[in-house]
Amino acid sequence: MRISEQAKIETRARILDKAAEIFTLKGFEDTTTRDIALAAGLATGTLFNYFPSKETLAMSMIAEAFREGSTDFLRRRNGKEDLAEELFLFIASGLRRLRPLRPFLGPVLERSLSPFPRKNICQEGETARLGHLDAVQKIIAGHGFTEAPDYVAMTMYWSLYLGILAFWTNDESPNQEESQSLIDYSIRMFVQVISGDVPDKGEVHAG
Amino acid sequence: MQVEDAGKVDSVEMKMLLDALPKGSVSDPSAQRLAHFISSISNNKVPVSSLSRIWTLGSLQARVTAGYFAYWLRSRFSDAEEKDRLKREAHLAAALKLFGTMGYLRGAVMKIGQMLANLPEVVPEEFAEVLSALHFEAPPMHYSLVREVFLDEFDREPEEMFASFDQQAFAAASLGQVHRARLHSGEEVAVKIQYPGIARTIKADLRNLRLLLQPLCLAIDWQDTLAKLADIERMLLMETDYAQEAVFGKLARSTFTASDRVVVPQVYVEFSTKRVLTTEYLQGCHLDEYLAGNPAQAERDHFTHLLTVATYRLYYRLHWLPADPHPGNFIFMADGRLGIIDFGCTLALSDEDWIFSNEAIQAALDRDLPGLNRSIAKACRFDDPDDMEPDHLDVIRQGFYWFMEPWQQEGIFDFGDRDFFLRGINNVIEATRKGYTRSVPMTIWSNRFTFGGRAFCYKLKGRCEFRKIFLQEWQHQ
Repeated sequence: MRISEQAKIETRARILDKAAEIFTLKGFEDTTTRDIALAAGLATGTLFNYFPSKETLAMSMIAEAFREGSTDFLRRRNGKEDLAEELFLFIASGLRRLRPLRPFLGPVLERSLSPFPRKNICQEGETARLGHLDAVQKIIAGHGFTEAPDYVAMTMYWSLYLGILAFWTNDESPNQEESQSLIDYSIRMFVQVISGDVPDKGEVHAG
Repeated sequence: MQVEDAGKVDSVEMKMLLDALPKGSVSDPSAQRLAHFISSISNNKVPVSSLSRIWTLGSLQARVTAGYFAYWLRSRFSDAEEKDRLKREAHLAAALKLFGTMGYLRGAVMKIGQMLANLPEVVPEEFAEVLSALHFEAPPMHYSLVREVFLDEFDREPEEMFASFDQQAFAAASLGQVHRARLHSGEEVAVKIQYPGIARTIKADLRNLRLLLQPLCLAIDWQDTLAKLADIERMLLMETDYAQEAVFGKLARSTFTASDRVVVPQVYVEFSTKRVLTTEYLQGCHLDEYLAGNPAQAERDHFTHLLTVATYRLYYRLHWLPADPHPGNFIFMADGRLGIIDFGCTLALSDEDWIFSNEAIQAALDRDLPGLNRSIAKACRFDDPDDMEPDHLDVIRQGFYWFMEPWQQEGIFDFGDRDFFLRGINNVIEATRKGYTRSVPMTIWSNRFTFGGRAFCYKLKGRCEFRKIFLQEWQHQ
């Protein structure tokens, strides 16, 4: 009997739900695919039909949060933001959607989004990365940069973003408010660098 | 990023720096060595200084500030061995580099620096200006950041909570900024929003400041400095709790009646949290704008009267020191009322401090010299007046007499009198120069209360029947 598409979608959603629960409970490292399959009422082999690995599974959740964050961002954007503010809104909207996954996010991001060369590239992670960077390029282009910023700017951005994620996953302050401050400062700095503003010497603030 | 080396410091700037720096009388009459020392450590620039309020040691004023600071620290070790001195200078160099990393204290440190740079000829106007600028500065927040704070605090966007919400802040506040908004029920409100994570920055700033002051650790007043810094940290952290400020605001509001002509805005609790404070919006203007309208003397006197009633009502009824009498905290309303809008930096005196504070005042009013001397000794952390150098006791007592002048004068007291204000400043300068700064932490706030209030009234050129007001408030406490 063929399983209907609808049933497949439901099973996939159930796996993601259960996996999030167990990851939160046991942590990413200590959770096995068997734990997840058991919780979802599946044979481990069946689970692999949906997700080839634990990493892919976790990264799928993250990618979904990214997508939801992008939708939120587009809805919340009012068109009056300058570049720094718009980038801030984009990042903050994404993090808000990632927040439920925060307890187990660190090791997943480390494995799936690491900027260092890896043997096995997590396809979900790579797609999420490219989607995120594409959105950032569009935002930057929307502010009068006629050419897409080159790999230097995007590499800088991605390093900054990973740094923000790393800080955020460890941020113990209420509502991760220290991360907000970090995003604010680092995005302003990034915008200043790519827009080539000549740094002043501080005199304008001396009064 | 090294953008220029020490040898290439602009010669005009260096001359200005040299002119501005204090001159050592014996070892370094032209302050050359000190200037070189400062310039050699001051050229590490942060490449993106305009992004917020990042301030670096690269600016001239910053160097002057640092120079004064270095000079002051050095003067404490003028009789030290050369080896010891070099060690301390190395320490100092490291400490001064930290100077530029301070976040919210920078503004305050800069202002103190500016005043120090003018110390020999400080004039009342500058003193008043510096006092009014002495507060923490948070970076400005764009609207997207404000929205994030709202989502975290209320789980709703500002537009969902208010009938209208102005996306641009209309004022900077201590530790954040203020936006205008209208409630669905129609009331105009002011919404104060705190910059995220500020408590951590305050702690980091004060940690840096302690490191910066480390060369002083062997000096006799080191423990005193630490105690004061701890008290400053405590007050600043308290200021980050808007829920506490709302409690102060509500209490203060209940202390005044309509006939007092003093207004404390209503707090809207359902729109307030620890990080967001929503209060009634008071229509009016601040001191500078008020003065620009060139008000008549009677009007100035009227507001001076209200300010005095307001502050001493809070002192006598609630035992509070409104320790931040910053001009931005007072609103001149068109109908002649005075608005008081910020209670973040309010010191609620402990019973012990309250009694102590009044003992000193009473002793001065009774012209009880031994009693006053005992109070002064206690305030300066001595067991007995006899333990103080006579000059020390005398300078501090002169300052207290100055403080008490308005209390003792029948009839109108003129706070706009330049000579009166100048005498107060000169006393502070003399005490600072002579190193008579040891005191109980409460004096930081009582001095700020006194000098802040008097600087305000001096700028206002206002007069009032101070003694009558104080007696009234004292009797009705």
